[in-house]
This record gives sequence, C-alpha cells and structure tokens, in this order.
Amino acid sequence: MTPLQFEAMHAPLWAELEAEIRIAERKRKFDGARLASLYRRVCEHLALAQARAYPVHVTQRLEALTQGAHRLIYRRHDYGMARLGRLVLVDFPQAVRAHRGFLLAATLLFTLPLLLAGLAAWHDPGFILHLLDAEQVRNFEHMYGDDADAFGRKRDADDDWTMFGYYIMNNIGVGFRCFASGIFAGVGSAFFLLYNGVQAGAVGGYLIQAGHAQNFMSFVVTHGAFELTAIVLSGAAGLRLGYAWIAPGRHTRLESLRLAAQQAVVVIYGVVGMLLVAAAIEAFWSSARWVAPGVKYGVGGACWLLVLAYLGWQGRPRRIGPSAGKEDGHAR
Amino acid sequence: MRLDTLHTAETPEGIALSLRPAGLMARSLAYLIDLAIRLVVFVVLALVTRAMGGVGTALMLVSYFALEWLYPVAFELSRRGATPGKRALGLRVVMDSGLPVTPAAALIRNLLRTADFLPAFYGAGLASMLLRRDSKRLGDLAAGTLVVFTDSVSLHGEVPAAEPLAPLRPLSMREQAAIVSWAGRTRRLTPERLEELALIAQPVLPAGGPLDKASPRLLGVAQWAMGRRNGHGNGKGTRP
Repeated sequence: MTPLQFEAMHAPLWAELEAEIRIAERKRKFDGARLASLYRRVCEHLALAQARAYPVHVTQRLEALTQGAHRLIYRRHDYGMARLGRLVLVDFPQAVRAHRGFLLAATLLFTLPLLLAGLAAWHDPGFILHLLDAEQVRNFEHMYGDDADAFGRKRDADDDWTMFGYYIMNNIGVGFRCFASGIFAGVGSAFFLLYNGVQAGAVGGYLIQAGHAQNFMSFVVTHGAFELTAIVLSGAAGLRLGYAWIAPGRHTRLESLRLAAQQAVVVIYGVVGMLLVAAAIEAFWSSARWVAPGVKYGVGGACWLLVLAYLGWQGRPRRIGPSAGKEDGHAR
Repeated sequence: MRLDTLHTAETPEGIALSLRPAGLMARSLAYLIDLAIRLVVFVVLALVTRAMGGVGTALMLVSYFALEWLYPVAFELSRRGATPGKRALGLRVVMDSGLPVTPAAALIRNLLRTADFLPAFYGAGLASMLLRRDSKRLGDLAAGTLVVFTDSVSLHGEVPAAEPLAPLRPLSMREQAAIVSWAGRTRRLTPERLEELALIAQPVLPAGGPLDKASPRLLGVAQWAMGRRNGHGNGKGTRP
C-alpha cells in the first residue's frame, strides 16, 4: 500500500477521532467506548506508518492524535470525598506506621535536643541568649507573662484571627521545608528537627525557670499534640526520602527516590491536616485566658491520647483467625 | 551521539509517544511570569485585606501561604496541566508516562521546590536541569514528572505537487523514505540547499529533459514514491 492510499483509506477515521478528542476535552460527557476503540485503531495505523516509513507529516499527525487520546483515556477519575475519607481513615495512619523506623529516628532527633536544651535553659537562664537575642527573649516573656491579654500572641498581632493566619503560614511552611530538605540524604530534615527541638526546648526551659510554667505548659499542651507530632512526621517523611536515595536496595537510585516520595507524600497530606487543626486550636483555644489551666491540661491530655491512638490503631486491617472476635480500630 | 532531547514514553498499546522536555530558558521565563503574577495578586490582596482588621490579616497570611505553596499545585492539576506562566510559554507538566500529573506528583514536585532552591536562587534545581538530558529538577526526579512543550514542532510539511517520475532503479524503503522526507522540507529550506541535497540522489534520477536542475526531478520521484503514477491520480503502484 502506498502512503497516499493509506491516507485516503483511513482519513475519515482520523477525522472522527480528532472530533471525539475535541468534544471530550471540552465536555464532561462523551462516548468513552467509541473514543477507546478509535484510539486503538489509530495506534495500529501509527505502528504501520512508522514501520513502513511513511512521510513524516502522516506519522506526526497520527502521533498527535494518539497522544491526545492517550491523555484522555488514561487519566484518573477517582478524586472525591470517598478518596479523602479513605485517606483519613486508612491511608494516612497506615503510611505513618509504614515509616516506623524513620519515625523513631525523627522522634529522637527532635525530643533529645528539646530535653537537653530545656534542661540547659532551666539550669542556666543565660543559656537562651546563645540562641535568641535579648529582645526576642523579652517578647517571649511578655507573651506568656501573667499580664498578657492572650498567651502566645505577638505584640503586633491584633487578635486571634491574625495568629491563626500566622500559624498556618509559618507552621505548615516549616512542615513542608522539613520534608523537602530531606532529599539531601536526610541531612536537611535532621537539621530542621534538631533546630526546632533546640529552639522549643530552650524557650520552654527558660520560661519555666522564669516562673511562667503554668502559663506556658497549659498553652502548649493541647495544640502540641497535633503540631509537634506533625513536625516529627514530616521530618520522618523527609528522612525516608534521603534514605531511599542513599540505600536504594534493588532499585536504581532514581526509582527508589520516586517510590519513597510516593509513599511519603501520603504522610504529608496528613501533616497538612494536623497542622491546620493545630493552628485553629493554638489560635483560639490555647491562647485563651478564660480557660482554667486544669481544663486545658485535661483537654490536652485527651488530644494526645486521641492522636497517638489514631496514628497507632486507625485503619488496621481486620484480624483473621481464632481471635477474629477482637477488632483493632476501624477496619474497612 | 544523540542531539535531540526527546523523551519517549511507551503506552500500553505499544505506541511510543515522544515528549519534548522544556529546557532551562523556557522554564525560567515561565517561573518569572508566575512570580510576577503572584506578586501582583498578593499586593492587591494585601491592600484589600488591610481594611478588614484581624480577619483581614489572617486572610492575607493564609493567601501568602497559598500563593507560595499551592498556586503551582492547583494550576498543574487543572485541565491544562500548567501554571499561567507555563501556559504562556506553551509548556505543561506531565508524568513520565505522558499522562496528566496526579495530585501526589504535583504536590511532591512543588514541595521539593524548597530543595531545588538551595543553596540560593534555585542552585540545586539549575544544576540538575543543566546536567540532565530531560531537564528535570530535583522535584521532577522525585515526583516522576516532566515539563514538556505542549505542541510538537513540525519541520516537515506536505510534499509539494509535481509530475510523478519513475526512478532509474528500484529504491529501497529507506531510500524512498529519505526522498519523501526531503520533499517534505521544501518550505523550510532555501532553494540552493534543496538543490544541493537533491544532487546526492543524482544517480537514481531519470535524465534531465527540459529540466536541468535536480530538485524538480527529485520532487517527481518523491511523488512516485508516495504512490502517484502518471494517468491515475491515486496510483496503484506497489512498493518494492
């Protein structure tokens, strides 16, 4: 068959596919079955045209057609509330548990410096000046002093809403950075965990030493359940990225990085959710002076239990076997 | 040595799609356009929200966050698969398989901007893009995405009309393909260069007759190779 015959014979089919693609790109409703069968026919034609070295303008037209149809046919459709529900109920807690080892490392990288810096600042009131300048220290003391309008509020902030916006911008940004910088062999994540741990520990230790223990602890306890866990989680996800690149196992380094990123990003989805919750709590609940510290401790403790139980047990598959009667969490 | 940067992706149907990755220049320009758009939007928002007190400040801070992190994610997940800046330069983001980006991939590649940005001004990203044939930055590597030109360049047009001429000897398939694709480039080449290339095919060209130049005769051979014969327009000639 000559190129001209080939073109003349199949041109109507190509035109039909072209029209189908145009319709499908515009509208939501289109004849998918027809599109798919046309697409397969044109794939055949392209293979023939390439094998027979037909003129370039013919193969190029076929390539453009198949590319357009391929994009339409293989795109995914299942993003909706159901997907989101599955993410919250199953995928996120499972992804967290799949990162167990990294989670342990991240927790240590965060809590050890936090405790050490806390102890140091508690023993030696001057220690904090290694990290912050005097002006910042005075600000912190003002934020948690007994004369503060609301705890944790910056001096230039008008009200809780401002702080809500600030927490979203700042904390989620920190979470993202903590994750992303893990790609450099995990060093970035480790640094952010250490750095944040030292800062938080030093400020906490200093404030307790200065006699603001009640104000500070009751402020931190509730949203800390979400915020501190989320930062550690994003650090763990970042460490995962770095580890995948250092120790790729049976994959190429790139492949291993790609796989790790795909699994780690599920953790990041959850981190975003947790930090949003944390920002709301921190801005409107933790800062409130009208809530008695005892109530805050109670609610905070409940939140810690809730978060840890959620991450530990939610979304575990149903047990099969003699002990099937006992069920862990909500299996799907 | 391969000179082009085409990235081929195979579909389940066994078809190789060729994607044309965008290089450093196009992507930097797209980034600058996006940066300008984000700046303008932020300034306008800041002016509007300033009058609204605490809630306004919250809105401003949240929108700053959204513009910094979510602006590219949202646009890349849209139907066109590109931010306004990328669209202006004819780029789009696709998966390595040539499919539209998934939400996970869009989020990964844009979160890893932070890593690409280090040590300063996208240093890591620039180095990665310059070192790789497919111009991926770190975010693209981890997400398995590519930034490609939406439209393919067409260097070849239709074969111009000419009286079909039989070559002196039967031509192999590769020879026929070479002559036809030469003919498809008539619009892009100068007549001198066209003639120069046509002279390479001199040994198979039929004798000059009234035409002493090689290119018109070779165009005739090209038509012959396409299957046109004297007499019947849509010829029935068989290929050797």
